[in-house]
Amino acid sequence: MAHPLTPGPAASAQHMIRMRLALMRNSLRGDNASNLYTGVSLGLVLAFATIAVAVLWPAHLPVTLAVWLSGWIFGPIFIGGGGEALRPEYFSMLPATPGRIAAALLAGAFAGPAPVVTLVALMSLPVYGWRFGPAGVLIGLAAAVITLITMVMISRVIVALIGLFVRSRVTAAAVGVVTGTAVALCSNGWAPVAALGGADTAAWSQLFVRVLPSGWGVAAIEAPWLLALAILAANAAVIALLLAAWSGLLARRVVSAARGGVPPRRGTPRPLPVAAGARIAAAKELRTWWRDLVRIQLLATALSYAVVTPLLLVTVDAWVMVPFAGLIAIVMGAANSANLYGSDGTALWLTLMTPGAERADVRGRQLAWLVIVGPAALVLSLAGTLISGLSWAWPWVLGLLPALLGGGAGVIVLLAVTSLVPGTDPHKRGGNPLSTGADETAETSLAWLVFLAVPATALPAAGVILLNPWAGVVTGVLTGVLSAWGLGKIAYRRLESHGIELLNLMKYGPPPEPARPTTADLPTHHRIGVTISYLIAWLPLFPQGLAPLVMKILGVEERVWFLALYLPPIWQWPTIIFMIAIGLLMYGYAVLIPMRLSSSASTNR
Amino acid sequence: MPTHREPALRTTGLRKAFGDHLAVDDIHLTVPAGSFYGLVGPNGAGKTTTLAMAVGLLRPDSGSAEIFGVDVWRDTVQAKGLIGVLPDGNAMPERLTGREVLTYLGLLRGLPPAVVAERTDELLQVLELDVAERTLVIEYSTGMRKKIGLAVALLHAPRLLVLDEPFEAVDPVSAATIRTILRRFAGNGGSVIISSHVMSFVEQLCDHVGVISDGRVVAAGPLADVRGAGTLEEAFVDLVGARTGGTEGLAWLTP
Repeated sequence: MAHPLTPGPAASAQHMIRMRLALMRNSLRGDNASNLYTGVSLGLVLAFATIAVAVLWPAHLPVTLAVWLSGWIFGPIFIGGGGEALRPEYFSMLPATPGRIAAALLAGAFAGPAPVVTLVALMSLPVYGWRFGPAGVLIGLAAAVITLITMVMISRVIVALIGLFVRSRVTAAAVGVVTGTAVALCSNGWAPVAALGGADTAAWSQLFVRVLPSGWGVAAIEAPWLLALAILAANAAVIALLLAAWSGLLARRVVSAARGGVPPRRGTPRPLPVAAGARIAAAKELRTWWRDLVRIQLLATALSYAVVTPLLLVTVDAWVMVPFAGLIAIVMGAANSANLYGSDGTALWLTLMTPGAERADVRGRQLAWLVIVGPAALVLSLAGTLISGLSWAWPWVLGLLPALLGGGAGVIVLLAVTSLVPGTDPHKRGGNPLSTGADETAETSLAWLVFLAVPATALPAAGVILLNPWAGVVTGVLTGVLSAWGLGKIAYRRLESHGIELLNLMKYGPPPEPARPTTADLPTHHRIGVTISYLIAWLPLFPQGLAPLVMKILGVEERVWFLALYLPPIWQWPTIIFMIAIGLLMYGYAVLIPMRLSSSASTNR
Repeated sequence: MPTHREPALRTTGLRKAFGDHLAVDDIHLTVPAGSFYGLVGPNGAGKTTTLAMAVGLLRPDSGSAEIFGVDVWRDTVQAKGLIGVLPDGNAMPERLTGREVLTYLGLLRGLPPAVVAERTDELLQVLELDVAERTLVIEYSTGMRKKIGLAVALLHAPRLLVLDEPFEAVDPVSAATIRTILRRFAGNGGSVIISSHVMSFVEQLCDHVGVISDGRVVAAGPLADVRGAGTLEEAFVDLVGARTGGTEGLAWLTP
């Protein structure tokens, strides 16, 4: 008999679900609501697409479900800890066993949009089972529920593992490397698959996707009914094991002191250099980079993505990306650093209260970022270009490297002060060291802004390189210096004039009166359209438009994965122009529709 | 040119609304130069909001604040040079040690390196933070955070100290240390404003008191005038119209 005050398992689960729903209801305001609706709409589209796969291309169902599983595995890593709405710390004083609390928390974990959307997608299993008769539908239904629980459990165990074991630089960097590799595989994973022979290894790949937990349902449906029951029972046993592991991890997490992502240290730190202004601010910033596990993880993500992406293409003998690994590292590194002020939280007050410190702070952050990213980008660029043996790449690498480094150093501080995403103050963050408490969707859109803005700063250099390679290098150096100096200057001016507003955005959240309408106020179809445009517009514009454009101009023979280069020559230019036009149109739509709304709203006010 | 005759702080008609909630409503306060001023009020009365607007950390909807005659919102840089601030609950450069925070901020303010080193040593020693040389601020306890915040406020030897809840979560020994430091600062002609809801501290330390309730000043002036014949606590309960509860309900609360 449990403690008299402890409700039974069913009652705890019910309370937990109610609490989770209440938390969700209360957070459904403004952009959060808009993000949720957009996310759910996108998710439902994908879910119904999965059901369509079960009907139209049943052979590909296991691999499609494997994609859902990977979403549950990597989702929490990408968004920094899975945004746990119900933290185990809240319930650490309840007089109940860890297993009971874990089971109740698990119930709470299902009361959200993601499991519901996944369940819709898993309805593809009974649909697939229809081919095997009524028994197949029944087994499919059971498998759908069991698979959903398995996916959610795996996701929870991964969050718990990260929360508990990311306590040192090595583990933080390891999570970063895994993340970066996973992102690279998502974008270019087709290359090694193609290299391994793609279609004729159907047997092993089909077996592989059935061995994954996401494929057990399909395996059960296809098996004779006795074996099917055995597979389902084994799956249930796996869930029990995962639950046991999770409750053990939770119990350890609650009693292990949260250190806010601080790696262990030995010895007294080296004294700060005797300097003033930007140099002392840079010294502070460099120490923060080295002592913050979140930043170490993000940096490792950027670098591993930059290294792995070109290597994946090498498997199909496309060396064309290898010289540009360093440039990719710069853009990724910038994308991960665009919320510098948001990640420091209200510590901004000290900069604001120190006369004239805004300039030093912005310049110091730029300097520190260059010191962190610059050498790695330089080494990757030189080594990549040498190893690839592509001598035509030299002016591109040498011209774009300074242009992008300067552009990155300028863009990150400018975005940090204009598009700050507030998070939880570092000293108030909970048991998960890799979570900053910031709105992940907003941080992701900030990263997309960087993906657009940083390459844009290198466009002049690229243009000149086309005309005269070595003049391009000089242009790259000049525009790099100009971007870092000019955008930095705009940034510290902005910090001087709007620093107080940034501070209070972090302290109190966005001002309650909607001074300007958010995307949440757009009609639903526009809201979905704008989000989809932001998500995929880069695809036609950059890889399918500008990249083949450059390669055609340069006369590079590789076709890589650029659609236009696979077409008959007469169609290549129209395709490239069409792709660029689509990309620009989508970005234009995504930017202009909310702007039009905001201007019409302000004239009405 | 500002002189000592100007009040250390004067706020005129400060007003701030958060959405529908009027947090501070037309606050006029005058803190004479050289005084030790206590700002008291119930939870949510608007003390923190008022102080944040007075030092330039929160833009008021209307009204103004002057520090020794310098307008905080017009001559921001000059005003910031005159004050040391301890806000409530703000982050610090979390991944520096206490010594690094003070060194960094001192050098950033343009103090000579030797002066920074000397003051840092003394502040860490007096506030007993020198034992935590390897500890980053993010790992500090709440009391240690208050003390490093106070050290930051004192570092550049300001003319006015503005301290929001300086004694909250501080152990009795450290609180006594802080009181002594503040008394010495005031004794040497410095001006101090503290906010607190610990009446006994305010009564011991302050010579002037302002009472805020529901975003308005309900009483202000020399301690003796505000307190009248009774204790400050009695005057406070009287002024804010509060009724001490706790006698009804809770019949089940028997172990």
